[in-house]
Amino acid sequence: MASSLLELHSITRTFGAFTALHDVTLALPPGRIGLLGPNGAGKSTLLKILMGLIPPSSGTGRVLDQPLGGDRDSAGNWRLRRLIGFMPEADALVPGLTGIEYVGLAGELYGMPRREAQRRAHEVLSYLELEEARYRRVEEYSTGMKQRAKLAQALVHDPPVLLLDEPTSGLDPAGRDAMLRLIRNLGVDHGKSVLLSTHLLADVEAVCERVVIVAGGRVRRVGTVAELCPRRDDRYRLRVQGDAAGFRDDLESEGVRVLGETGPGEWRVTVPAGWTNLAFFKLAGVNRVVIRSLLRDDETLEELFLRTVSN
Amino acid sequence: MPAQTDTLLRYRPWRGELHGPLWGAAAMARVSLKLMFRRRQYWGLFSLSLLVFFFFFYGQYLVVWITTRLADDAVSVGGLKVPVKDVGKFFGRLALNGTAHTFGNFIWFEGYVVVIVLALAGSVLVGNDFAHGSLPFYLSKPIGRWHYVLGKCLAIGVFVNLVTTVPAVLLWLEAGLLDDWQTYYLGNLGLLAGILAYGLVLTITLSLLVVATAVWLRRTVPLAMAWMGAFVLTRVLAGWLVDGLNYGEAWRLIDLWNDLYLVGLWCLGADPATIRPQTQPPFWAAALVVAGVCAGSLLYLRRRVQAVEIVS
Repeated sequence: MASSLLELHSITRTFGAFTALHDVTLALPPGRIGLLGPNGAGKSTLLKILMGLIPPSSGTGRVLDQPLGGDRDSAGNWRLRRLIGFMPEADALVPGLTGIEYVGLAGELYGMPRREAQRRAHEVLSYLELEEARYRRVEEYSTGMKQRAKLAQALVHDPPVLLLDEPTSGLDPAGRDAMLRLIRNLGVDHGKSVLLSTHLLADVEAVCERVVIVAGGRVRRVGTVAELCPRRDDRYRLRVQGDAAGFRDDLESEGVRVLGETGPGEWRVTVPAGWTNLAFFKLAGVNRVVIRSLLRDDETLEELFLRTVSN
Repeated sequence: MPAQTDTLLRYRPWRGELHGPLWGAAAMARVSLKLMFRRRQYWGLFSLSLLVFFFFFYGQYLVVWITTRLADDAVSVGGLKVPVKDVGKFFGRLALNGTAHTFGNFIWFEGYVVVIVLALAGSVLVGNDFAHGSLPFYLSKPIGRWHYVLGKCLAIGVFVNLVTTVPAVLLWLEAGLLDDWQTYYLGNLGLLAGILAYGLVLTITLSLLVVATAVWLRRTVPLAMAWMGAFVLTRVLAGWLVDGLNYGEAWRLIDLWNDLYLVGLWCLGADPATIRPQTQPPFWAAALVVAGVCAGSLLYLRRRVQAVEIVS
């Protein structure tokens, strides 16, 4: 197993006058990584470069110790794409084929011997709980089954890296949970590195250890979810019932700053140093208000993402 | 048994040697053929091509039998006595005698089946990949874009040869067995090479044309209309222009199947004038048209396949 998943140095990619990626320098260890970014941020271009589908205009890089651009070896084999299992966002099914034929064909396209590909297709489809449907044609599958079939074709050759493009797209909540659990298991229990490209922040929070936020062709933030969204001990979300105005005045006189009102009697506040939560309840008692909820106001990934993108 | 269920649901790693991209192209061809022959209409059309083959196969045998055994006899056709040698003349027009024209004619007649099958197969083999977004499935694998085209062309080539070249070779073998086999086989090795060359020309031209038109039109009905236009309307039009309006024979070049036939006859070493009374354009002009169709298809494919987005 390579010590780093990818190392990119000053990668720039232009299409005519348009710069899709601008001077991207990024080093990521193996693990479960979420690639977040709005439309047109450069995610797709980055994925294409990582898969060896397009070369960068400038810059160098390695994915699993394989150089970018020099993707084919002397025998004409695509080394990098053999190490990656790609699950596209589009349907990408072959109408007329059964599930087992579809996954078996994927194995052979990766270069597996036919018998091995067939055997492995059975195993992977069983693992993904599609064994009952493996002899049905893929176009008859439900959306959830189609997504799992697409994951199966990416897994068939047991790649060390999975590149998943919107894997929960179109799934109902139960199907989405199941898919995220599968992806997480592949990463945690089977040591796969997962690069999850999505706009659903909850998916990233459920699966990924690290997050890369891309916007405007640049990498804006990189780090673990804990690093990017640190614990904030001085911020609270407060909801009260009763004479809210008097209570608020008393809070402010004690040095509490109201950052914003999110509803009637609902505030986001920042407290001064040395503040204890008991003080909220004492002031509430004085003003005869009931504190309905008091929560620490850590920044969510969504807020971080929106803040980063809007900047 | 719980233990078995547990084993089945457990993810198991795989380690093994991976083959090169040509392996993937061959797998793609095999699966494409499987997809094609899963449809009953192709078996119906394939049976039709077998009928043509058996007509030639037994025709050759009959001609030899008539000429050697019943030359002086007569048979009754609708109450009329017809000398057997006259029946032989009828078969003679089809050249069922193991000569270059036997194989040229055979492939010409099989062409009707080939064109109909390929008109219908284009959407199944290639059009669906574009219409249903299957291309990212293929192109995200460690194969190149031209391996995709090669895989599809291989599938079409296998079908074309199954209907034309393979039965033509069988007819050649049969013709030798009906004659002094050593003399026939040794004296007609050029014919065998001609059959294989004709098959190669058909394979390359038709496979490229099917893939290019399927990439362009994708759906079955427009594809069938385009193919019928290219192979039926052009023939009618060429006949009307040359035979009806006395235009120059160069106008026959618009009929692609006729062009392929002329190139095939050249491969077989036969003169088209000996079997077809209509004036024909020269071989080299037909070869130029065939080469132009191949080049045009390749250029179009290059443009379209390069433009496919795998990650969108």
